[in-house]
Amino acid sequence: MIDDLGIKSAFASITSQALLKALLVIIIASLVIVAVQKVLPRVAEKLGGKPRLYLLASVPLLRLLIIFATITVVVPILVEPSFENMVAIFGALALALGFAFKDYANSLIAGIVTLYEMPYRPGDWIEVDGQYGVVRAINTRAAEIVTPDDTVVIIPHNKLWNSLIANGNDGTDNLMCTADFYLEANHDVSQVRDLLRDVAFTSPRTKTWQPVLVIVFNKPWGMHYRVKAYPFDPKEQFQFVSELTARGSAELARQNVKFVSVPVVAD
Amino acid sequence: MKDTINDKSADTCLPGGLISADQWTLPQTSVRRSLKDAIQYALSQLQAGVSQAEDPFESMDDLPELSGIQKKRLAPEPDYGRQAEAIASGVQQARSEGSLSREVVCLVAPPFSGLQQSLARFEELAEPGLLDGSGEKWRIIGPPDTLSFSAKEACDWWDEQDLSTPWVITELADFWLRSLSGLVLVKELFRRIAIGETGAGILGCSSWCWRYWGQYLENAQMSPWTPAPMDAERLGVWFTYLASGKGRSEIVARMTGDGLYVLPLAEKDKTKSNKKRKYSSFLRDLAATSRGNPGVALAIWQRSLRAKPDDEAKLDEADEKTEKQSRAADCWVVPLGKLSLPSMPQSKESVTGFILHGLLLHNGLDMSSLELVTGVSTYELSLVLSRLKRAELAACDETDGRWQVTAIGYPTVRRHLQGWGFPLDQF
Repeated sequence: MIDDLGIKSAFASITSQALLKALLVIIIASLVIVAVQKVLPRVAEKLGGKPRLYLLASVPLLRLLIIFATITVVVPILVEPSFENMVAIFGALALALGFAFKDYANSLIAGIVTLYEMPYRPGDWIEVDGQYGVVRAINTRAAEIVTPDDTVVIIPHNKLWNSLIANGNDGTDNLMCTADFYLEANHDVSQVRDLLRDVAFTSPRTKTWQPVLVIVFNKPWGMHYRVKAYPFDPKEQFQFVSELTARGSAELARQNVKFVSVPVVAD
Repeated sequence: MKDTINDKSADTCLPGGLISADQWTLPQTSVRRSLKDAIQYALSQLQAGVSQAEDPFESMDDLPELSGIQKKRLAPEPDYGRQAEAIASGVQQARSEGSLSREVVCLVAPPFSGLQQSLARFEELAEPGLLDGSGEKWRIIGPPDTLSFSAKEACDWWDEQDLSTPWVITELADFWLRSLSGLVLVKELFRRIAIGETGAGILGCSSWCWRYWGQYLENAQMSPWTPAPMDAERLGVWFTYLASGKGRSEIVARMTGDGLYVLPLAEKDKTKSNKKRKYSSFLRDLAATSRGNPGVALAIWQRSLRAKPDDEAKLDEADEKTEKQSRAADCWVVPLGKLSLPSMPQSKESVTGFILHGLLLHNGLDMSSLELVTGVSTYELSLVLSRLKRAELAACDETDGRWQVTAIGYPTVRRHLQGWGFPLDQF
């Protein structure tokens, strides 16, 4: 079989010197990748706003470029880069990967598609299969997200094919946050809407040039208000929602607007 | 001067006159300068925290700075009385041309542009009734002692103010706080203006405060006016005017490194003997660095002036051919690249941004008000403010305990807030 594919002849010319050379190139490339993965996120941490997002997003792209460059350099060192040899090597590689690492190959390909389609980038806030967090890294096979509870969740890229991926900020620094208020009925709705809008506008974290909306729903148990606004930095979202909730609740209480509460049901 | 409406009357103390805020454009600079600035900013961001320089402002030359008297003579603070007259005549002209028909004129300008100080002199105008034709004096309406009001209290407060005779609010930012009860006073004022309950008036407002209220009151169309941005030519005219004062001759300012002329301006200096003079791009770079803001430009200008060049021999070489034409300089100017403006202390937290943004929104605040609008505790405020003070980005007025962003630090502060995603002003 190996003979049929021409693999044997392709590798026949490999010398120990060529092997050492290829190894050296691979080591250098690995070091560069490690350096890119360590240094750029650190530099990005020092920057705020969009530059941080752009720098983070460039990490996986750079890694892919380095990997391609390494393959381009290493293959001609090991084998004579004739058409037959290339077909033989890549054909065999594809066959091996296809049989042995079907899922792994699936994730690798999805990873490449991820870099092209960009359903998520480092710095994005995404939700996949109920897991919400910020994308920390996009590796070859999987993406790493960090949840608000500081837990790292590994999401294989092949989720891309069959899962719903919700992206909160989609490569920008605009992430809408919502604070909910559940109030008893029989109050002045327009006054409460104005008040909640003011709560959002007076928060130092609000991006005032983005829309600030107060939505109200009439429910059987009372009124459900949703304050929608954008924090100036997606990282501030939890602080922002907490602040809106705390200040909104305090002001509503001051205005004698009562909250609904659901009795606790014991099992 | 393409963008001015009432440019013909432009006074040397307000070059460019007043323009509609929509016509305001950022002074242009070279691509090289923009790139250099961007790289310098990125490097300063990365180096912040690494270098432990105690002195925030560092001049990278050995030349002696001007003495206080020299500085007062060559780059003095502007005469706001004259500026008030120039603003009044600008508004009057816009009215007569029909481009300004509202009773209440909104004048918006970035911090340090001197608008507030000029409007404060409106009571002293020689021809008080010029703008409204009534002949009545302008009355300045000052902010109340406390800014927390209920809707009814705000209504009562404005009822007490006589808005039927010509009035001036020098700075709207002094009339509100970014808190729930701190918005009411300004909301009520805008309501009254919108339904025409007020008489003729001038509403001065800092650009940051205006931007906020423009976003808060989505449907308000106030069509504000603003002083024209200071491009290189206007800066030259203005600096010359400031230095020449009452009847003194024009000043001569040259670059320290290469001896190129900064002042007098090329166009003003068309005598035959001066045609071969080479002029520096300093004023163009300064206009771009200060974003056309006269107060910021003046602060940098004052810092860049030197008593003598570091190497007179270089100057002689540069001017060898035109030696006879060269005039003795009154002062020498350090290139912008050799001046290090204040840099932002490194911080991973956004507290610094809250504080600086709060200060700009309210045109300066005391500690207790700052605590109210930012939600930052007094303890943390004092720590951050002391850092900002050391970095020369903020300063405290000893008389009223009010903290403000400094003119020299304003470009750095604006850039920091932009980088962190805070809402910015239009200018």
